[in-house]
Amino acid sequence: MEKTMKLFIVLSLISIFIITGSAFAADTPTFAVYALNSEPLTNWDPAIEFSNGIHVHNNMYEQLLRYDSIEEKIIPMLAESYTVSEDGLTWTFNLRAGVKFQNGDDFTAEDVKFSVERTMQLAAGASYIWSAVESINVVDPLTVEFKLAYKNPLDLVAATGYAAFIYSSKCVNEDNTWIDETPGCGTGPYMLRSAKWGDEVILQKFDGYWGGWQENSIDIVVFKKVSETATRRQMIETGEAAITVELPYTDVEVLKNNPEVVVSVNPSLQNLIGMFNTQKAPLDNVKLRQALAYAFPYQAVIDTVIGGYGQQSYGMVPAGLWGWSDQLPRYEYDLEKAKALLEEAGAGSDLSLVLTYTAGNEAEKSTAELYKSELAKLGVNLDIRGMPWDSQWEMALGDPSQRQDILMMYWWPDLPSPYSFLYSTFHSEDEPLFNLAYYKNPEFDQLIDGGNEMTSSDIEAAKQMFIDAQKMLLDDAASIFMYDRQDIWVTYKTIQGFKFNPAYPTVVFFHELTVQN
Amino acid sequence: MTQSTSFLRAVQPAVRELKVTFFLLNRNLLQRISMVIILLLILIAIFAPVIAPYPGHAISDTNPKDKLLPPSSQYFFGTDELGRDLFSRILFGTRISLRTALLAVGLALLIGAPLGAIAGGLGGIADEIIMRLTDIFLSFPPLLLAIAISSFLGPSLENAILAIAISWWPWYTRIIRGQAVSIRERQFVRAARAIGTPLPKIIFSHILPNTLAPVIVQASMDIGGVILTIASLSFLGLGAQPPIPEWGLLISSSRTYFLNAWWYSTFPGIAIFITVMVFNLIGDGIREVLDPRTRKF
Repeated sequence: MEKTMKLFIVLSLISIFIITGSAFAADTPTFAVYALNSEPLTNWDPAIEFSNGIHVHNNMYEQLLRYDSIEEKIIPMLAESYTVSEDGLTWTFNLRAGVKFQNGDDFTAEDVKFSVERTMQLAAGASYIWSAVESINVVDPLTVEFKLAYKNPLDLVAATGYAAFIYSSKCVNEDNTWIDETPGCGTGPYMLRSAKWGDEVILQKFDGYWGGWQENSIDIVVFKKVSETATRRQMIETGEAAITVELPYTDVEVLKNNPEVVVSVNPSLQNLIGMFNTQKAPLDNVKLRQALAYAFPYQAVIDTVIGGYGQQSYGMVPAGLWGWSDQLPRYEYDLEKAKALLEEAGAGSDLSLVLTYTAGNEAEKSTAELYKSELAKLGVNLDIRGMPWDSQWEMALGDPSQRQDILMMYWWPDLPSPYSFLYSTFHSEDEPLFNLAYYKNPEFDQLIDGGNEMTSSDIEAAKQMFIDAQKMLLDDAASIFMYDRQDIWVTYKTIQGFKFNPAYPTVVFFHELTVQN
Repeated sequence: MTQSTSFLRAVQPAVRELKVTFFLLNRNLLQRISMVIILLLILIAIFAPVIAPYPGHAISDTNPKDKLLPPSSQYFFGTDELGRDLFSRILFGTRISLRTALLAVGLALLIGAPLGAIAGGLGGIADEIIMRLTDIFLSFPPLLLAIAISSFLGPSLENAILAIAISWWPWYTRIIRGQAVSIRERQFVRAARAIGTPLPKIIFSHILPNTLAPVIVQASMDIGGVILTIASLSFLGLGAQPPIPEWGLLISSSRTYFLNAWWYSTFPGIAIFITVMVFNLIGDGIREVLDPRTRKF
């Protein structure tokens, strides 16, 4: 009797373990933490966000199309196909049938019209990408037609990583403002679960996603701000984070030998530039700007600061994007030439310049220090100021007499076109926004605007116009084009299927990933 | 009797007091060591350009080919991410830390001491206004106030000094005011008033000099704290700007590399630790010596 009792207890215990164990296994969702160097999101509104939110929004919302900048081809998303009229002014998109918003509503042409019109109307963030659009017509529930005022590559515009998202009208207030943290506003594979402002955003799988789900896909994605590089490295080494970016190259060299993680080095469309203040003395003198461009230690910066993960830029358009050309002239590091030009410019020996960079960015800081040591050899003093981006930008937009002489910043594409690299940064602006070289050149404006209009009809001619425009920037030495950087991603070994797409910088499309234990 | 001999006679008690203080400080081993280290730090600060093997590395030179090398006979403390000799940079950092600390404390005294003497010497409405003003300043944590001020003024070492002085002066005002209130009732002040000495002269030449002893104690104890605050501000990017070899800034830059280059954060950290500790020890010592209750004879 006692024996059977014991047996019964043991068996029941075992069965309990099996039942609950398997139940736990089935219930435990798969997590993936993406450890980011700064806040995951700066604005909930997909029409306005023009910053870090690119990581989050591209997993929650979708565009009509996406662009694969490695294969150089268009990927159909919410639009299955599109046609363009003979004159290039009417674009018709045929929408995908059976797509649902995360809140259960059907996706229709009305949503496209609503989203794009609202984005244009707000005129914030990257909404300028739609500036060619004159009107949007709903032909039938699955067909939408865009009428343009001038020729424009609307397929690339519709594929932009910012401001091209289609969202539900239910997430917008009567006064047209976004209702923050509403779940279910997009058609994308992940929907909002919870968030801590400035710190983390948690998304969960949308079961009704039109693209379907693979086995072992990721259920919950956590975008987390971890500003210390050492902490990010430890998180990826222990598997606490699935993916991380922006590790210093010294860590990358060590991680390459770690079997627990996978390091992938990929071309990015990011470049580092040092914009000269072309409107304020003393750098309103082109000879002086050229002298300063010759004094920049290009190779030393690439070797020391980014450990060789990059190359010296040819002009503003980075390697890997059409419109890039190695036929463009480059300023090489040459102190003799710099000295001769300095004399020619008639610069006094007491020349002192202010350079601003984004505080906390170690690569920018080291670059500035290397540049300072070269300029010191020429008797030029460089006053380096690390400031939070907001203060740096405020100074650059403020009182013209108090502005910096050189402003260092990274640039990456919104639209996968050279226009995105040349328009925001060097097109004449009455009130500066990102043209922080304050560069004004009507000929340049005409060339890039023309190039943009030609893009959809004659891409070769457009390419040549963009190259010619960059030649002007180089002749005028509007900026130092320092380097085109490579992106270094570190993923934990269990993460499979990771692909990168430089047209959407630092975006991880979590829908494509699986976890293999 | 000439002016100078009368002056010497007048300061004789003060000199004697100073000698006694030094004698007393010297009796305690810990404080003796601290005094030697402080002397050493001052010498390092003065002779940094002579001692440092690579003085250029502390100013603007870079040397990328030797980046992030561990300590060796060539580079005693190793090198940083741009190949600069950390030993030379830390030596020059001594200069910056001592100078900024003295300037910040001096400036705070310059603002705080006269205000305290006026508040205590005048009393009444002036006292009320000045003391409520100090209350406002003291209601903020000092580091937070310094951060707010220096981010408002813009990041630079000079602005950091100013920010610290602005957040520090109320302490001196309070101490001096407390002293001044009691001195105001003393016989010699009454006597001065009785013979018709003008009030400003009473405040600045009779009251203020007699309040200085406790303030000197406070100031010497504060030097350590101020060095730490400067380093904190620079660490946050609000103080010294690169390539100035300020210790806090060195530690801030080393964060990126500390998993692979232990020497980079260790040596500036030790430098801050030792300096702040010896100044605090000496401050404690001076307080003990000058406080009649703890004074041994």
